Amino acid sequence: MSSQNQLTNIHNSGKSYIIYKSTKGFDLFTNFSKKIILTNKNINNFLTKKNKKKKYKNTDLFIGFFGYELLNNLIEIKVPKQKNINFPKGIFYKPEKKINLTNNFRYETVNKLKFNDNFKLNINKKSYTKIFKKFKKKIKSGETYQIKICTKYKTHSKIDPLDFFSRLSKTNLAPEAFMIKDKNFSIISCSPENLITKKGTSITTKPIAGTVKKTRNMNKTKALRYFRKNIKETKEHNMIVDMERNDLSRVCDINTVKLSREKVVEEYKDLFHYVSLIKGKLKKNIKNIDIIKSMMPGGSVIGCPKINTLNLLNNQEKDNRNIYTGSFGYIKFNGDMRFNIIIRSILNFKHASEISVASGVVVDSNPNHEFNENYIKAKALIDLFR
Amino acid sequence: MIYIIDHNDSFTQNVVHQFSLFDKVECDNYSNINLTKLRKASTIVFSPGPGNPKNYPLTSKIYKQFKGKKKIIGICLGFQQILFCEGAKIIGQKKIYHGYQSTVAVINKRSLFGKGKKFKVGRYHSLKLKEPFKIKNFEITMRCLESKVAMSFENNKDKIYGFQFHPESFLTVNGNLLIKKILST
Repeated sequence: MSSQNQLTNIHNSGKSYIIYKSTKGFDLFTNFSKKIILTNKNINNFLTKKNKKKKYKNTDLFIGFFGYELLNNLIEIKVPKQKNINFPKGIFYKPEKKINLTNNFRYETVNKLKFNDNFKLNINKKSYTKIFKKFKKKIKSGETYQIKICTKYKTHSKIDPLDFFSRLSKTNLAPEAFMIKDKNFSIISCSPENLITKKGTSITTKPIAGTVKKTRNMNKTKALRYFRKNIKETKEHNMIVDMERNDLSRVCDINTVKLSREKVVEEYKDLFHYVSLIKGKLKKNIKNIDIIKSMMPGGSVIGCPKINTLNLLNNQEKDNRNIYTGSFGYIKFNGDMRFNIIIRSILNFKHASEISVASGVVVDSNPNHEFNENYIKAKALIDLFR
Repeated sequence: MIYIIDHNDSFTQNVVHQFSLFDKVECDNYSNINLTKLRKASTIVFSPGPGNPKNYPLTSKIYKQFKGKKKIIGICLGFQQILFCEGAKIIGQKKIYHGYQSTVAVINKRSLFGKGKKFKVGRYHSLKLKEPFKIKNFEITMRCLESKVAMSFENNKDKIYGFQFHPESFLTVNGNLLIKKILST
């Protein structure tokens, strides 16, 4: 049976499955033999448990996600009581079957659903501006250097996740895209950002800070010129690079953390990203849990310095971030890992969909611009409901 | 051994890696300072960090206790912390530098780095030293070419050094040389 037909069969059977972007196409994981719902109590055990074998199969891994709150708690940062939909804090699955899909996999939904695209925003422009000004003061007094305010769009609607994911992948083939379909929820994401790629003792992270839309007048060379000239984008990017160097240095050998690609432009279907690549060689005896605690939640979507900024954010935000700015990926039984940062995603749980976005407050940003920027970031996902 | 006090910053590990090129380094968080390590150290480093020197009274206490007895180096907040302990005022500034690369020049002939030398450096600071500033044995040795803000001081008598910029940042060209110099003096 072709992988295309297998996909259709799995989807129509109602089985749970996960799709994750690979270098050549997509990997589909299914036939889950274990499902671990993570809590503050069991996460340490989950991350330190050894699954060593003599020979590894390509399904010898746990794939899933860590939510934002769980990652905070893991580094002993408290999140005050927030509005909560009681979505699990993290889930990992053990697949028994893996299928390779091409970039051009097809899916036609059988029964066309009508989606509700009437999204409500949790923070209006007035309150956004107020929060923005408050944080700007904190920057002037040196308590934070950069902070990302999260806003959330919500609607009530049934969705067909594979229909959404296939449409999204056609317009935006993001290198860290993924989809989870489970019994009572689904996640669709076109995340562009890799947080951890660990192979043996080598580790890389690839922060993105800076995005510009592709237009007839904006090619790759011009995008690079735009980023270089734009002092605000450059400063934000520099800050993230030093912070990610720091987070890698905690787990890497002296003199091995190197900026192997400095501020380059990557081209995607609709936009250009300003990207750096940082590499390191892991210290002896470093465990995956140490790496996760050092790198997560990913700095580029939080702000800097991380701990103080997380505390400022958590005391401000009234809604739980759920999956947003958490991490999705896998841990192989041989110890290798790959994790992204969960952004540009839809969480559909109990027929309610939410899309979270954030943009940065730095000393010279302005609330109108950032508020509108948030909408632009959400729009590609909101359009899927139309 | 060099003992680094981490003021909850997201750049401290870069400082650790940079100093480790020259000597054995121990680093603890501000909330978890180890007195045995502190006493054993030949050099104490105050890391960068959020907030202002008033937020870190324990660091001020350590500074006063070990001034003149051990080499002390302050970076960014650490630079401000030392000057604050010496009675200087740390104030806000009109233009704020976060993730900014500036050129600084050595302006003092008594500097270890040679008067007239220029360096490209990375900056992350909301606050600055209020001037005029005059304290015995402390010399302002570098300034930002553009804004003239104080960027380093040296006290070669008591072996106390501070940088307002970040020698460990990827934005600082030859940052390792700057650290090597003050560690070998």
